[in-house]
Amino acid sequence: MTLRFLLPLLLAAAPLAASAQLAEAQTRLKSAVTEVLTVADRAGSRSSLPEKLRPVLNKYVSFETMTKRAVGPGWRQFTPAQQQQATQLFSTLIIRSYSGKFTPGEHPAITYQTAVSPAAGRVDVPTSMVYLGSQYSVTYRMEQMRITDVVIEGVSLIANYRSQLDAQFKKGGANGVISSLTQSVSRAQ
Amino acid sequence: MKYRAFTLRLLLLAATSLLTDCSTQAAKTAVKPTAKAKSMAASSKGKATDKMLAVKDDELDEYATAPDISDPLEKLNRGTFWVNDQLYTFIFRPISKGYQLILPRPVRKGIDNAFENVKYPVRVVNCTLQGKFKRAGQETGKFVVNTVGGVGGIFRPAQRIPALANLPEEDTAQTFGKWGIPNGPYLVLPFLGPSSVRDGVGLVGDYVLNPVNWPYFRWHGSRTNHDWVIVPPLANTLRSTPAQMELYDTITKDAVDTYLSARSAYSQNRAEAIKK
Repeated sequence: MTLRFLLPLLLAAAPLAASAQLAEAQTRLKSAVTEVLTVADRAGSRSSLPEKLRPVLNKYVSFETMTKRAVGPGWRQFTPAQQQQATQLFSTLIIRSYSGKFTPGEHPAITYQTAVSPAAGRVDVPTSMVYLGSQYSVTYRMEQMRITDVVIEGVSLIANYRSQLDAQFKKGGANGVISSLTQSVSRAQ
Repeated sequence: MKYRAFTLRLLLLAATSLLTDCSTQAAKTAVKPTAKAKSMAASSKGKATDKMLAVKDDELDEYATAPDISDPLEKLNRGTFWVNDQLYTFIFRPISKGYQLILPRPVRKGIDNAFENVKYPVRVVNCTLQGKFKRAGQETGKFVVNTVGGVGGIFRPAQRIPALANLPEEDTAQTFGKWGIPNGPYLVLPFLGPSSVRDGVGLVGDYVLNPVNWPYFRWHGSRTNHDWVIVPPLANTLRSTPAQMELYDTITKDAVDTYLSARSAYSQNRAEAIKK
């Protein structure tokens, strides 16, 4: 009898919880963008930007998940120390790449579209961004309220690195991946 | 000498609009997993249980099905990619820097807008061929508003009209994709960069439909002097070079393997463009 009364309530609560999760993800993303722009505005020079952005990005981006997925199934053959080293190198590469996109004093105009949940525990927040007069479609993939991938004009950052790191893994195993990441990080900018 | 000058002119002309039309594609396919991906999946079946678990693991396998493109000519493509890289570094990037130095950003933006506006036939014909009649109407509206209200397309007042703002790009290769024609092998074209057999043929369609090339078709081989016909396509290439170089840098700068990064970005972007 009780179940009969509770069931409609439970059924009604599920979509509400899902919609709350979508709203929370969007709010979280907005906070991340605001914080990043504040730090970028305060950064004295472009060269110091990556290190200044690192703490903020560590808070909002799951670099460990990103690295794991960028490497692919080969990740299981990495030792914990190799996983840590690869994550450190990959995060450095991503942060440097991301920082390089900023032009001091320029802010993007971002329109947040309705967030969707393509799979359990995952939220995609599509946005439309106008930066320096050009328009981009950017989707942020989030899990547990942290960004795990960025898809720009249909190009997934992680899928792009997967194509490269998977090839490195097939050629030289975990050491091959780490060595290629080290080379990319140490490449002069 | 005359022959050489003509050849050079033809080469530049060919590179110009194709480069421009390709520009939107360069970062931008078969959605099918490649033979390589299929064989990887097949080989994993026969391996130990832990490997099977690894393949099934959502966390790790999500990107195994990302759009990719077959690349049987990889050796040749890598060679062309290297030549292009040298061309971009030693010829196109200095040209791009010079152009950016001479003209301030608002002026460059206005020039870009005008050339994009002129490409209206490429968009409207391909919208129509794909059966997107509403979009073709919107493209026409956008062209009229920008041409009349935006001083020949230098400004984009249509962006302030929600129904006409942010319409997705359309080109001939996308039409082929929509018709179900597969990519065919991946190709790196000299000067132009990432493409495929299908998209390469599509570039010819875009080239013919782009009005900046029409004077050349009309007066090519004419006995009277019409050397000016090369100016619109050359200007089109020049104005698009900074965006091309920026795109190329974005894709390759922090890559582990620049060739694979460009190929992946191209195939993903084109697959997405065809869906729109």
